Amino acid sequence: MEEMNFEEMRNQFAILKDQLNKQEIISDHLLRETMKAKKSAINSTKRMEYICVAICLVLYPLLGFDNTISLAFIIATCLMVIVSAVATHYIHKPVDDLNFMRDDFTTVARVMAKFKKQYNQWLYYVTPALIIPWLCWVCYEFAWKNAPEGVNPWFMTSALIVGVIIGGAIGLYYHFKAVNAAQDIMNQIEENE
Amino acid sequence: MKQQEEKFAQLVREHKSTIYTVCYMFSHDEDEVNDLFQETLINMWKGIDSFREESKISTWIYRVALNTCLLQERKKKREVKKVPLTMDVNFFEDNDANSTQVRMLHQRIGKLGLVDRALVMMWLEGMSYDEIGAVMGLTPKNVGVKLFRIKEQMKKM
Repeated sequence: MEEMNFEEMRNQFAILKDQLNKQEIISDHLLRETMKAKKSAINSTKRMEYICVAICLVLYPLLGFDNTISLAFIIATCLMVIVSAVATHYIHKPVDDLNFMRDDFTTVARVMAKFKKQYNQWLYYVTPALIIPWLCWVCYEFAWKNAPEGVNPWFMTSALIVGVIIGGAIGLYYHFKAVNAAQDIMNQIEENE
Repeated sequence: MKQQEEKFAQLVREHKSTIYTVCYMFSHDEDEVNDLFQETLINMWKGIDSFREESKISTWIYRVALNTCLLQERKKKREVKKVPLTMDVNFFEDNDANSTQVRMLHQRIGKLGLVDRALVMMWLEGMSYDEIGAVMGLTPKNVGVKLFRIKEQMKKM
């Protein structure tokens, strides 16, 4: 009879272990804290973009003072960066408005999906449409129209292209940092469901 | 750091039932189980660097979980900000057949003293006397003697 009691206890213990092994650890709060951290990665991209815009808006009008580059180019460049800043603000606003500790996961996932889509659309369609004409124009302004004497314009053009490639690489790094952070948030929500 | 966190998360996933079982047997309600569970994970995270792999990881986990539970009264005095981390099961309130069985076990083990409770749990877990001794700081022979006495005591309950 006593042995039966211990056997019963073993069975009960096995039931307990079996029930627990089927469980997943739930941490809603932990997930939300992680999402908050990911949001800071998204925001760092936005801050970087605003800093670049501010530098351009200060630098290009200054270049106009010595009449080396045309006023039209300065205005076009400033307009381009302002449009980029406005678009950044527009794309980031729903993410900024999110409260990661309060909003439901469906809303968060929807906002992140929209953010990622808009960010990618901006990269694949708008960026080439803006950058390629601007790059041609900047080469014309700096390498061909105002090239220093004795300097081959093609050499200047190459140097400008290298500069644009470096700038582009930095831009792509920040772009994918934001997009990957959004994707990570979506994956975490999906795993939790 | 991220790699270490992932390794720890994997460790917790593998041993969650052991940790939860210990916490459950030392608690009187669901909130207390969850508090102990979180506290054990915090202690494991704090101590994982000092784990020297001289003993089995399961032995170390048992030791951390038991120490956490045994020291719960002292810990209660220092309220720590915790991250809600739990499992979606409530053996205290669920009324299905399995939960009823688990509750019966909880009641039986709950009648024992704290150290005896720990010994019985490890015995039920199927741990050897050597392993139990390593967790509790007892010789295997001592473990055998204590378990015999506990069993005798339980027969009378």
